[in-house]
Amino acid sequence: MLKLKRMMYISGSFSKAVFVLLFLAVQGKVSAQEVSEQEVSEQDTLRTFGPRIGIDLVPFFYYFTEPKIIGAELSVDFEIYKNLYPVFELGYSSTSVSEETFDYESAGNYARAGIDYNLLKLKDRSEHHIMTVGFRYGISVFKHSSENILIYSDYWGDYISEPHENSLRGHWIELVGGIKVEVVSNLYMGWLLRYKFLLNQNMDPVMIPAHIPGYGNGVDTSTFGFSYSIFYMIPLIKK
Amino acid sequence: MLSRILIFIISILITSCISVEICDDDNNSMMVAKFMTMKDEMPADSTVASLSLYGIREGRPDSLLYNQDPTNNFKVPLDPHHDFTRFVLQIGEQTDTLELTHRQELYGISYDCGFGNLFTLDSIGYRTGMIKSAEIKNDMVDAETKEDDVHIWLFL
Repeated sequence: MLKLKRMMYISGSFSKAVFVLLFLAVQGKVSAQEVSEQEVSEQDTLRTFGPRIGIDLVPFFYYFTEPKIIGAELSVDFEIYKNLYPVFELGYSSTSVSEETFDYESAGNYARAGIDYNLLKLKDRSEHHIMTVGFRYGISVFKHSSENILIYSDYWGDYISEPHENSLRGHWIELVGGIKVEVVSNLYMGWLLRYKFLLNQNMDPVMIPAHIPGYGNGVDTSTFGFSYSIFYMIPLIKK
Repeated sequence: MLSRILIFIISILITSCISVEICDDDNNSMMVAKFMTMKDEMPADSTVASLSLYGIREGRPDSLLYNQDPTNNFKVPLDPHHDFTRFVLQIGEQTDTLELTHRQELYGISYDCGFGNLFTLDSIGYRTGMIKSAEIKNDMVDAETKEDDVHIWLFL
């Protein structure tokens, strides 16, 4: 006898994604208008360069979703050559879920490195808004575990398995695109849309991780991600 | 233009996030045995008029697990509590005891369906002579048995 477990659900991650996308749509439209409507200043001011340090606000939103995901992410980028921005991102993420036949936990750190390329042509050197496309390589070092694993058996008696735990490393590649707008001097806000490709889904032969920190659900070999961040650029160099 | 791109992305997300998954009520690993006979020195299907099958459960009374007539195969769950599973087969007036030794390891079926046991069959034993010989055809028994799976042949 089969039980049809129908999940015509809009999943937790999907509802998060829709919420963030709608938010970004409004924000992005406003930001694009702001960029396009700004008058190009005749004054050719000094352009400031320096490391831009950002904090992603999306992980704080996930704290209030079900299942709850606790996390934080920092990023740093620096324009080393015209329109080229090497980017490094570091973060932590953890979640725990209790299902009918098992409990699941996953927690760990992750890092991404890559390059953004600025597509926005601004004539005024005093403006620092950027619209970028780029890529990332991501690695996650994490531990996931399942406890209270129950396998029903009417005839032989229910079977309770030993807990399963494994320390893992996940690797993935991301294609990214987004904008950063300088809202006041050296202070930026921006969003980034990520499309991620998992490189080693079968990292655990017993169970595919349901939560890979920095990537998402390991069941999906490709998935979307979002960042909405606030940045501060440390003005080290003026040219 | 941006709004069109966003609508396109949302459409992809909706498509990719709606899924239908079918899970068994339990995640028993079912072994499929097929009755065979030798015909012109070649193995051929064999059908028995009636089959009753009892599992031998330590510390618990044996009870009827399978009853079918006529049939040329049976599908039964393996015992996850031991490294062997024992059955009593009754075909007509004849009986035999079938003993399967196996190893097992845990595996995740899916996040929605939970865990199952993957059994590896090591050997088949039988006692009284009703079963002439036996052969393992597929030693891997998992919780996702398909229609045409056959794990062992029993020659009568």
